[in-house]
Amino acid sequence: MSTTTSETGAPAAPARFPRETPIQYATTLLVVVLVAAPLLPVLYQSLLDGALYDHDARLTLGNFVRLAQNEGFPRILWNTFLLAGLTTVVAQLFGTLAAILFGRTDLPGARVLGELFLWPLYLSALVLSFGWYTIYGPAGYVTLFWQSLFGDAPWNLYSLGGMAVIAGVSQAPLAYLYCLSSAGMTDPTLEEAARVSGAGTFRTLWRVTLPLMMPAIAYSAVLNFTIGLELLSVPLIFGEPAGINVLTTFLFNISATSPRPDHGLAATAAALMLIVICFLVWLQGRLLGNTRRFVTLGGKATRPRPFRLGGLRWPLFAAALVYVVMTGVAPIAMLILRAFTSFLSPMIPLADVLTLDNFAALLNEPVYARAVTNSFLVSLVGAALATALIGMVALIVHRSEFRFRGPLHYVALFPRAVPGVVAGIGFFYAFALIPGIGGIRNSIWILVIAFTMRFIPAGLGAVAPMLLQVSPDLDRAARVQGADWWTTTRRIMMPLMRPALVACYTILFISFFKEYSTAIFLFAPGSEVIGTALLQTWVQGEVGVVAGLAAIQVAVIAVCITTARAIFGVKLHG
Amino acid sequence: MADLLIEGLVKRFGDVRAVDNVSIHVADGEFVTLLGPSGCGKSTTLAAVAGLDRPDEGRIIVGGKTYFDGARGTYLPPEARGCGLVFQSYALWPHMTVFDNVVFPLTLRKVNAAERKRRVAEVLALVEMERFADRYPHMLSGGQQQRVALARTLVYQPAILLLDEPLSNLDAKLRDRARVWLAELRTRLGLTTIYVTHDQIEALSLSDRIVVMNGGRIAQLGTPQDIYERPADPFVADFIGTTNFLPAKVAEPGVGTALLELGNGQRIEVAAERAQTQGARVTIAFRPEQMRVATAGEVTNGEGSVVDARVLTRSYVGGRWQVGLDLGGGPLRLETETPPAGDAVRLWLPRHGGIVFRESGHVAA
Repeated sequence: MSTTTSETGAPAAPARFPRETPIQYATTLLVVVLVAAPLLPVLYQSLLDGALYDHDARLTLGNFVRLAQNEGFPRILWNTFLLAGLTTVVAQLFGTLAAILFGRTDLPGARVLGELFLWPLYLSALVLSFGWYTIYGPAGYVTLFWQSLFGDAPWNLYSLGGMAVIAGVSQAPLAYLYCLSSAGMTDPTLEEAARVSGAGTFRTLWRVTLPLMMPAIAYSAVLNFTIGLELLSVPLIFGEPAGINVLTTFLFNISATSPRPDHGLAATAAALMLIVICFLVWLQGRLLGNTRRFVTLGGKATRPRPFRLGGLRWPLFAAALVYVVMTGVAPIAMLILRAFTSFLSPMIPLADVLTLDNFAALLNEPVYARAVTNSFLVSLVGAALATALIGMVALIVHRSEFRFRGPLHYVALFPRAVPGVVAGIGFFYAFALIPGIGGIRNSIWILVIAFTMRFIPAGLGAVAPMLLQVSPDLDRAARVQGADWWTTTRRIMMPLMRPALVACYTILFISFFKEYSTAIFLFAPGSEVIGTALLQTWVQGEVGVVAGLAAIQVAVIAVCITTARAIFGVKLHG
Repeated sequence: MADLLIEGLVKRFGDVRAVDNVSIHVADGEFVTLLGPSGCGKSTTLAAVAGLDRPDEGRIIVGGKTYFDGARGTYLPPEARGCGLVFQSYALWPHMTVFDNVVFPLTLRKVNAAERKRRVAEVLALVEMERFADRYPHMLSGGQQQRVALARTLVYQPAILLLDEPLSNLDAKLRDRARVWLAELRTRLGLTTIYVTHDQIEALSLSDRIVVMNGGRIAQLGTPQDIYERPADPFVADFIGTTNFLPAKVAEPGVGTALLELGNGQRIEVAAERAQTQGARVTIAFRPEQMRVATAGEVTNGEGSVVDARVLTRSYVGGRWQVGLDLGGGPLRLETETPPAGDAVRLWLPRHGGIVFRESGHVAA
């Protein structure tokens, strides 16, 4: 090009100090501090004979001895593992059946049923528990109805079995999604080969389809077992009144939330829990070969030919419909209905009890109004901040030559191994330890910080697969043309990542909005959120207000999911 | 514009030496092609020059500016090098229009708005894409995207131009057109260019010199004529053009002319530059176009030898026949306009043109 004159080659002399360096180090430091903040104080406290903010506390191993000698503790451990185990069995059973039935057969309405099956995933187990209470609780709608016809109801939610069913139903969608995506990825010709060689539908399902799903079943089983161990809401609502304690409720009762906290014992139990969960998360990684760790990955559209159910089509449809209605739709619907009534019973005509009093109470009582506002603030602002951080982490981990990108990735994923209860206790200690930040401690920002830490892995799970789909040539092209890492990131990568960031924001918004297990250790008067208000009002026995708050949470999440799907085409799961 | 010096370049991936002691000097304005099968190290070499991959040893100097020096620990990041690289995938940014794509490097160089506009218009005209400035990449065909990618690279007048298999994503017809177009453009621009390809026709028709690479090393470096007519080893002979290999034994060595004995005892006379030793095993290579069916009554003379071969297969490939022959255990492929009638055929092999390699190289024919 002889006509153009002016400069050639590189745009400018390379900066002696590349500007990506401070950005990358600052992001890494932030993540490390976030993740370490709750963990170190818990481990430290477990070795102290007094509260860790007491200056005369001394190092000791006495807490471990006390925990081992605590007479109720073996029982608590037994209950914890039994509940987690039963929950896993229920979740895997229903999840796998649903995956085969909705994903691989010609069941009528499989798509709609599959969508309904996922409902519990979007709601917190807390809200689902309240829903079950309004229907199957001692004064529940169905329980009363049953009593009026046949006498005492044969079920009891206030038992390990009852709790396992509720928890199992709320976790079944996870097993369902993993099995479904594994079914979508296996080679359909394997099944066709079995059928061509003469195997019938059920034989093929049993001998070929199910074994092919085994890795997904095993992985989601460990995942569900882990979640079962961490579960707080169900044991708190149904276990406590019946005197059935598990590790999370034990922690809840002896730590900061109780009038006379035993910090040493709580931290030691928390540390123990941390170790068990760490092992399970490590096991998950092994089972998954460290790839495909997240459900958020989009599935393939190429679905193998569905199995013909023949004469069983309609009976199975009826069974599936009954399951979906009984476990998800009815409890939620009834909970919402309860929010609009003063009392709900099959004996009283609905028209007599319809009222808006519950919502009036919500509006008039400043505590509840504040909880709703705070929830919105924490979710809207907090999710945005968290998305920004997660986006940067993803870019550094997957799209930079940063020296510590490997360790950064590891640390960023570590919160998967930190139960919400432990994170809550840990952040409580952390903020008690560090002087001069009392302002944050009693504000909603402590929640934003804690929630961000907890959901970094979930956010990364949404961003990373989409980021990896962007060809590395696109940022390399910019680099070769003279853009440094930060310019490339801003001008090329960030615009291309927009759908991933929207998905990440949506997932974080929902997660923040329904979170309670970390929050109950951290909130103070003035920084309540819906989750903590739900538990408080439940303890006070104000079922109407509980239903009202739950209805708001359900409505907001429903709107959020619909919007994200309709406007941005966000895929929230495979 | 600048010259490019690569010295003792080494790049290891674990235990594998992907680039193994490669040295090339490309003169100012020269067009040099790195040619080889996939995995030969040609793309790794290119990435090392562009700064996308940090080599382990060696030096890369462009126009006196040291890009990389393993001994001194010098390593310029890609953005400080000022190379132009056209990717195999074109790497057009999907969220920007053609204009925005092309203007990006100028914005980075803080060129003023009027000048930016002028230069983008100029370079788009050069690649005949001026009508598409407002389109997004996904609205363009493969060939058009490739031109935009080239424009985006040319617009900032890079010190050297690096092309990574730029034609391989085009279909066969389009590729031929693009190659001719690229050849024209190359003579007009006169940029120092490194071109990476596995396509011998692109390499032969575009290059001043060709570097044939194999297993991370340079197998041969020379002009297209050198490479084609005097391949350094059986690998190069086989990789450039279809080649027939015949195992043989030196019957009568001689300077200038040697007599070789084929597997079935037939003898042929070939011109040999290097002296051969009596009884040594050699491989002789012929291009299909060098051999023909002997005319009736033609016999061995000073120009070539006539040998008997057996016909194994014949297939019509449109206008011509491909004939598979067996000549004393060595399979041959011959192209003729009329297929041989019987099972036997008399074959004429030229005295000049056949290349003798010492030791029978293991080459997949």
